[in-house]
Amino acid sequence: MSSSEAAARRPKRYLMEREGVLAPLLLAPSIIYIFALVAIPFFLAIAYSLSDVTIGDPSFDFVGLENFRQVLEDPVFRRSLRNSVVMTFVTMLLVVVISKILALVLTKDFRGKWVVRFLILLPWTTPVSLAAIAWLWMLDSLFSPIDWTLRRFGLIQGSLNWLGNPDLAVVSVVAVQVWRVVPLAAVIIMAGLVAIPSEIYDAARMDGAGFWRTLFQVTIPLTLPVTAVAVLFGAVVVFADMSVPYVLTRGGPIDATQVLPTWAFFRGIQGGDLAQGAAIALFALPVLAAMAVAILRSVRKMDIG
Amino acid sequence: MVRALSRREFLRLAALAAAATATGCGNGGGGGGTGTSAPAASPSVKLSGDLRILQWSHFVPKHDDWFDPFAQGWGRQVGVNVTVDHIEQAEIPARAGSEISAKQGHDLIEFIFPPSSLEPSLVDLTDLNKEAESRHGKQTALCTRSTFNPRTEKFWGFCHGWAPDPGNFRRSLWEKAGMENGPTSYQELLEGGTKIKADQKVPLGLGMSNEIDSNMAARALIWSFGGSVQDEDENVTLNSPETVAAVEMMTRLFRGAMTDEVFGWNAASNNQALIAGQLSYILNSISAYRSAQKANPDVANDIGFSAPMKGPGGTGLASAHAIPIYVVPQHATNPDAAQEFILHLLANYSEATNNSELYTLPAFPDTARETAEWLDEDPFGSRPADKLSLLKDAEDWSTNVGHPGPTNAAIGEVFSTFVLPQMMAKAARGQLTAQRAVEEAETQVKKIFQKWRDNGLVGGER
Repeated sequence: MSSSEAAARRPKRYLMEREGVLAPLLLAPSIIYIFALVAIPFFLAIAYSLSDVTIGDPSFDFVGLENFRQVLEDPVFRRSLRNSVVMTFVTMLLVVVISKILALVLTKDFRGKWVVRFLILLPWTTPVSLAAIAWLWMLDSLFSPIDWTLRRFGLIQGSLNWLGNPDLAVVSVVAVQVWRVVPLAAVIIMAGLVAIPSEIYDAARMDGAGFWRTLFQVTIPLTLPVTAVAVLFGAVVVFADMSVPYVLTRGGPIDATQVLPTWAFFRGIQGGDLAQGAAIALFALPVLAAMAVAILRSVRKMDIG
Repeated sequence: MVRALSRREFLRLAALAAAATATGCGNGGGGGGTGTSAPAASPSVKLSGDLRILQWSHFVPKHDDWFDPFAQGWGRQVGVNVTVDHIEQAEIPARAGSEISAKQGHDLIEFIFPPSSLEPSLVDLTDLNKEAESRHGKQTALCTRSTFNPRTEKFWGFCHGWAPDPGNFRRSLWEKAGMENGPTSYQELLEGGTKIKADQKVPLGLGMSNEIDSNMAARALIWSFGGSVQDEDENVTLNSPETVAAVEMMTRLFRGAMTDEVFGWNAASNNQALIAGQLSYILNSISAYRSAQKANPDVANDIGFSAPMKGPGGTGLASAHAIPIYVVPQHATNPDAAQEFILHLLANYSEATNNSELYTLPAFPDTARETAEWLDEDPFGSRPADKLSLLKDAEDWSTNVGHPGPTNAAIGEVFSTFVLPQMMAKAARGQLTAQRAVEEAETQVKKIFQKWRDNGLVGGER
């Protein structure tokens, strides 16, 4: 390369080497993505919730907090908010227990481990709407293979009506959410388990610790931060999910499985009242924001640790 | 309790249900139908450009097989490039809403439930409706009330057809209960349904879930007992002794003749259960029967149809099950072509009715005069051939969702948020008394009405 060519290329290379240029350039796609697909819809939702916008009439008239006042008076909304919180909490409780067990099993060596790992991960890779439709058939009042099996063993007569009985409908929605989130949580916890140095287990064994003592005094404390991350990610996924309750029950029976996303959809999109739909959806914000802060703090703790 | 199924029965019925699902909620036997259309009449204005149509995937797939080439053929004759997109009917409101917000998309959108809240963003089709009446005579009243807003004095949509919602009963089961021709009143439905469930272990099914059929069933019951959500002038009238009596009847029907499954149904559930032979009575369009003809002919031959059950005053009313309505959004780039196409469709409505296997009846009876003849002798293999003849009088016992008023934006939101099925369900499960369930529902309904009154789309004062 001649010196004149090198001189011609230098400014461009220098430009790419300058942090002040390169860093914003690399960050730009993420920032544009977040701005276009998160920030704009978010601020639009806030604007809608303070207006009387409907699907048919997008003209913006400011109504202050009227939509929030009306939403809070609505018994279905209060039920949806309670359902969202309770169902997410119960789901994550079950997810922690099951994923922890799965992660412990999957870190052991046994024949066919990779096949088992693959099968366990399958629910996470299945599109949620397809999985929910498959579960809809599994829980059908007439064709449920679960009911059929229970009948064959003489445990029930007729049908349990999983989606028609309010209590069983809640159980069904929670069970499907657990089924969906457990693989992700198990993989995250498994990564945490693998990262624990074997010397610590050796030391525990030398000190005479058995399985349970090792589990509660070594494994669980050392995987706590990573478990927290798994739980919080899962909780955000479940709390904000509309697909499973919409496909399985459409919020029924008698609003037993109505959650904030489904009620916002029914009111805002199906009913045409975009403003109240936005107000309902925004009630998820404090909960999701708290979860996001908790996730970030957990990650930070892990970094420090 | 439902009769337990053997493994063989279970597999057979599961296969039948899968077949029914695969064919949508419709698709019946063979016969009838053609794919040709009359030459297009000369449009009143010179047409060109594109016409983009969005509409529901018809419950009878054969209809769409006919419709798409029909529309494109018309386009070729008048110099318009026509494209037709079909999506599942429940997705239409969300899709149309996003197009209206974005101010771009299709020129012509078809709903099967009146989207009255969209009125401010739609082209006024009053002239089109007048033109259609001048060409084809009077429109069926329930169709007019589904698209005309008396408050703004506008036709915001165009209803070209409708589907009746008769009772579907299993003749052999009701015969054993001493009612060979099925029940005729809610009292008979209660007595016969209870006896059939007790003796033959087959329940009946009126949904109380968040889906369209439950909405229709709740309204039919309330109207037949003399109640209604609103009056003719769009005042809320839900909380009445008549509505309370209707809710009490639903409670008795559930306790005597139904199972919990009715609270968890989706729109296809009662079809599937009827086809599988697991229900003695449902309220539905003929799509369930058409599916049964293909999937389970024995059951299909055993299905009879009845007019809506009568209430204590002798009145029996049912809602139109589906009301296909075209709207032209204000963002449409080719509204002239959209309206000319509607007129062309009307001129060929015999084809539409025939290819829907008599699911869709004409909104302008003169556009498909053969309909009565077809209903007397079903070209799609009914046994007996006159099984559907009851539908010739369907207009007498059918009405629009907002009966006795128009299907306005408030009625639309009450419908879409399932206030009435939930009201029925709360009483049926004993969560609230009938009176309290009606009061609670009325509180919700009044708020919805007031909101749409404030928006200027709904009349009335209370």
